[in-house]
Amino acid sequence: MSTALKLDHVAVDPITVEVIGSALSSITEEMGEALVRASHSTNIKERRDCSTALFDPSGATLCQAEHIPMHLGSFIDMLPHILKRHPVDQIRPGDVFIGNDAYEGGGTHLPDFVLAEPIFDGGQIVAWAVNTAHHADFADRGHAHIFQEGLRIPPIRLYRAGELQQDVQELILLNCQVPRERLSDLRAQMAANRLGVLRMQALCAKYGRDVVLAAGDALQDYAERKMRAGINAIPDGTYRFNDVYENPEIDNELAFSCEITVAGDTMHLHFDAPPQVRAGLNMTHTALLATVYYAVKCLVDPTVLPNAGLARPLTVTATEGTVVNCSYPAAVNGRCSTCQRVVDLVFGALAPAVPDRVIAATNGANTVAHFAGTNPDGSSWIYLETIGGGSGARATKDGLDGVQVHMTNTSNLPVEALENEYPLTLMRYELVDGSGGAGAHRGGMGLRRVYRAEAPCRLRLDGSRMRTSPWGLAGGLDGARAVIEAGDLPYDHGLVLMKAGDVLSIVTAGGGGYGSPERRDPALVARDIAEGRLTRDAARLIYPQAALDG
Amino acid sequence: MAWRIGVDSGGTFCDICLFEEESGEVAVWKVSSTPDDPSRGIAAGVQEGLANVGAAPGSAGYFGHGTTVGTNALIQHRGVRTGLITTDGFRDLLEIGRQKRPDLYDLQVDKPLVLVSRDLRIEVPERVRHDGSVETTLDEATLRAAARRLRDAGVKAVAICFLYGFVRPEHEALASRIVAEELPDAFISVGHEVAPEFREFERVSTAVVNAYLGPVMQGYIRRLAGRLADLGIATPPHLTQSNGGVIGFDQAARLPVRTVLSGPSTGVVAAQELGRMVGIGDLITFDMGGTSTDVALLKDGQCRLTGEAIVHGYPIKAPMLDIHTVGAGGGSIAHVDSGGLLKVGPRSCGAFPGPVCYDQGNTEPATTDANVVLQTLNPTHLLGGRMAVRQDLAKEAIGRLAETLGLGLMETAQGILSVVTANMARAIRVISVQRGHDPRDYTLVAFGGAGPLHAARLARELEIRRILVPRNPGILCAMGLLLTDLRADFAATRLTVLDDAAAPTVEDAFAELAQRAEQWFTEEHIPEDRRATLRTVDMRYAGQNYELPVELPPGPVTAASLQALADGFAEAHRRQYGFVDAEGTVQLVTFRLEATGLVAKANFVPQPDAGPDAAPALIGHRDVWMPEAGGWVSCPLYDRAALRAGNRIAGPAIIEQMDATTVLLPGMTALVEPYLNLILEFPA
Repeated sequence: MSTALKLDHVAVDPITVEVIGSALSSITEEMGEALVRASHSTNIKERRDCSTALFDPSGATLCQAEHIPMHLGSFIDMLPHILKRHPVDQIRPGDVFIGNDAYEGGGTHLPDFVLAEPIFDGGQIVAWAVNTAHHADFADRGHAHIFQEGLRIPPIRLYRAGELQQDVQELILLNCQVPRERLSDLRAQMAANRLGVLRMQALCAKYGRDVVLAAGDALQDYAERKMRAGINAIPDGTYRFNDVYENPEIDNELAFSCEITVAGDTMHLHFDAPPQVRAGLNMTHTALLATVYYAVKCLVDPTVLPNAGLARPLTVTATEGTVVNCSYPAAVNGRCSTCQRVVDLVFGALAPAVPDRVIAATNGANTVAHFAGTNPDGSSWIYLETIGGGSGARATKDGLDGVQVHMTNTSNLPVEALENEYPLTLMRYELVDGSGGAGAHRGGMGLRRVYRAEAPCRLRLDGSRMRTSPWGLAGGLDGARAVIEAGDLPYDHGLVLMKAGDVLSIVTAGGGGYGSPERRDPALVARDIAEGRLTRDAARLIYPQAALDG
Repeated sequence: MAWRIGVDSGGTFCDICLFEEESGEVAVWKVSSTPDDPSRGIAAGVQEGLANVGAAPGSAGYFGHGTTVGTNALIQHRGVRTGLITTDGFRDLLEIGRQKRPDLYDLQVDKPLVLVSRDLRIEVPERVRHDGSVETTLDEATLRAAARRLRDAGVKAVAICFLYGFVRPEHEALASRIVAEELPDAFISVGHEVAPEFREFERVSTAVVNAYLGPVMQGYIRRLAGRLADLGIATPPHLTQSNGGVIGFDQAARLPVRTVLSGPSTGVVAAQELGRMVGIGDLITFDMGGTSTDVALLKDGQCRLTGEAIVHGYPIKAPMLDIHTVGAGGGSIAHVDSGGLLKVGPRSCGAFPGPVCYDQGNTEPATTDANVVLQTLNPTHLLGGRMAVRQDLAKEAIGRLAETLGLGLMETAQGILSVVTANMARAIRVISVQRGHDPRDYTLVAFGGAGPLHAARLARELEIRRILVPRNPGILCAMGLLLTDLRADFAATRLTVLDDAAAPTVEDAFAELAQRAEQWFTEEHIPEDRRATLRTVDMRYAGQNYELPVELPPGPVTAASLQALADGFAEAHRRQYGFVDAEGTVQLVTFRLEATGLVAKANFVPQPDAGPDAAPALIGHRDVWMPEAGGWVSCPLYDRAALRAGNRIAGPAIIEQMDATTVLLPGMTALVEPYLNLILEFPA
């Protein structure tokens, strides 16, 4: 790119690189805090379904804050798409680009609005401040193809040289069901980028633009070196794994497979799946990349800096037009559950190579409850939440109970915020007894959330592992499946109509176990029984070594 | 003669600072802590200290105290067996938390230990709705049964936390009464009393930490108050809270969770006063004691205050200074882990049995033993000659470790220090680099018994060029207690829209807070002319869940002062987020009143410049192992007490004093500034 600076002459000492690296992390974290604190929707202000990052002028990730790994998929193609549409010499300070489209840049599904702002120093772009927020909108839509899923926004200017483009904003807001909330959250996104711009400019003023840019390059090289060293330590070979994916939207099961080749300090990952479907579960190529980067970072070296350098030793391929690498105009809204299962594939494949680092199958879903209804004044209300579950057991210890796994890490919404904002009551929120897969180390327990509607509403559920089970490793048993306990309520492909007073519970899956149950420490079996995580009768069957009397 | 007493008690030592109000005389005293009952060591130390200056206990005019009893109990999970009574359907909330995993990428990381095991978390049918209406009334019989179950399980503390307890506290109040009847000896911690704010997980977590630490803190405070009274000290004792403010013992015992960071925040306040005296505002504090180390950052003399923080893995809703603590200090035990790596801490040998060199039965080497072997610490005596040490025992213990590692004795001893230094550097990066501050722009304030011993190497690791070592580093916190005003914070949450009709609500809220403050002033015997208050309101736009604090002008609440709030909020919001929502509804959320009682403080007098020659303070030489100098090097040894303002020392050198040892590496210089603090610098 023309604005990229030649930096070969700038030598930066390792301590300065480290200090600048930490400063970049601090900036992205601070951007994230500003976004959360200034926002209005529960999905951002409490559930933190948003991410912030800095990019270098070439579009490479300088740093991504530790929020939601999935969101990297929204970021990595944003700048190339901006620059494809907008000549760089026409981009000015104060321009802010908005985009959400899965095919034209800025998103892996439409509710994730990305805002990108160039950071100028000395008349040149030195970096970009970028953030995405999941706007809980576009509810109650179809998912046959992307046109049904919401408004498609290519990367266009929301602000031009600091001036709000009112026309653009009005067009967007008219297409949203809760426009007032959208507007407030967009302002919070602006606040986050503004902080990023200020902090980055201060960093350049302190160390000099060339030093900051050189440090940015050095940090990517460092991530690459660490990644290569980590891959080098994995035995060379080709590793394969197959799994089956299902989802409430579709009636059949989809066969997924992956093949991973480790050769020296490089890794090639290839995925295959059935052709893309007329349902909102397809993954774009950027979603696949974000998923693979996450999985490989976890397994190779969790401490590698989250920048573009970590991807250099990796090649990722997938058959085009399939569920895991879809083409226009496939629907993509619920792609995150699919991504969760792709992480499981990578872990399953590499289990023989790095048995001490992989974990058994997690709850394998991004379980989403999407409520929509009408307020007494005729306006719409929309509430979206995602529910964690069991994580997979580990080689030396039990899996985590009731957590968000892999591609997401959103918070729950406090009950006291949920009931205050929406006509819903949460009756129970608990770990599901007996749901963790048995093993020498047991899988994590799933979660149960029981809702009561206080007004009529439509609920759309997304998830997986309702018809298949999270697998165990090395003799560990499967975790319990997810289930929707809808009672007599009409339930069809994830859609439920609730009347006031109706009660429905969502149960997420437990994680798979690790190692044969016979090897479980009897003291841990006794603890689980005492704490009610396992019944004595079940324990007697699974863990005969625990010598349970009475 | 009226003596003011400051006592800072850590896991290993108890420091006592005495200050005579008229003459300005300052005396310090240090004794070993008595961890089984820290009040015993304190009382003995205070008695000795007073006797040492020839003062009668009855002449004490003030008693201020900072303690690490709470924070150490939380780090080491030494709270009491605790039960939780909560709303039906929500016993797992304490464990689920916000459903986030503890580390995004490292899947081996575990969640912090849940302080109440699942079988001691009991659900009872009851439900209050968000508007305060009762959907399910709390059944007394069920509750009594739950309380009895906890009693039979042998719990020593009970946390009671229901949904919306902060909106309608009746159910929690009833439960509290019944639990008190069934478990008359248990400590009871109630959600709406501990943290009357929304977000149930953070509130229940706070209530549980309060319960878990309650008996530990309360027992401690009561025993100490009793022992002080027995000594003849008549003045009411005071304790530092986590926010740096100082309150009476009775108040502190009611809400132990607010004093979790008592000891650490005492250090920050002390460093703040020290910085003011020396004229340095940008400081990083490095308070290394025997059991733990606290670091904090002061920008322009101010440490960030938070209303909620995660302390050792547990969310706590209480006003706290932004302090980062690591469980490592001079008493931390060095060991070789299962992977064959040398680790130091978090286990500590404490004051009893203490490091191996104390010869009190411990055989596992601590950081102090490494320093004794390297002879950075005096190899024969500590505490100004009051405590004999056995270097031979320390050598034996570290020798065993060296054998396991396949290294030499001196390399292993030095290795222990390197691991400690790296741990400390990481802690400082959390509060500096990770918050956007470059540590190289700051001065490191090294205090606590072990701070000056390790500061030079730590500063070098972080490229910090200047270190400030206070006159009495080992008792800086105790001295800080004599430099601070009394402070208490009062708050009330009352969600109100900011419009013309808001004035009565604001007036009422602050009138109530002012009344509570008045009562506090009276309890603390603070005369009218020594009282100060500051009123702020936490404000936000309707729809937001985070507030910005805005100051309310003094005087009656009028249209003008409401306008000042509106303007102040708009300005704060613009500064923070870059925009103002002209149509947005502005809400007043929490009303805060900070009450300060101004107290007479120790007033230190600058000393005349005695010139650069430090020779009069030279007391000998000692061989010290310094890899920076290639191994053993003969270091000049200085007596800190004999150093005069203006004296300069070139490294390598060791400066000894009763309560600390300062290490000067080759190439470094030390200057004694007018208040007798040391300023250490690396060459440019």
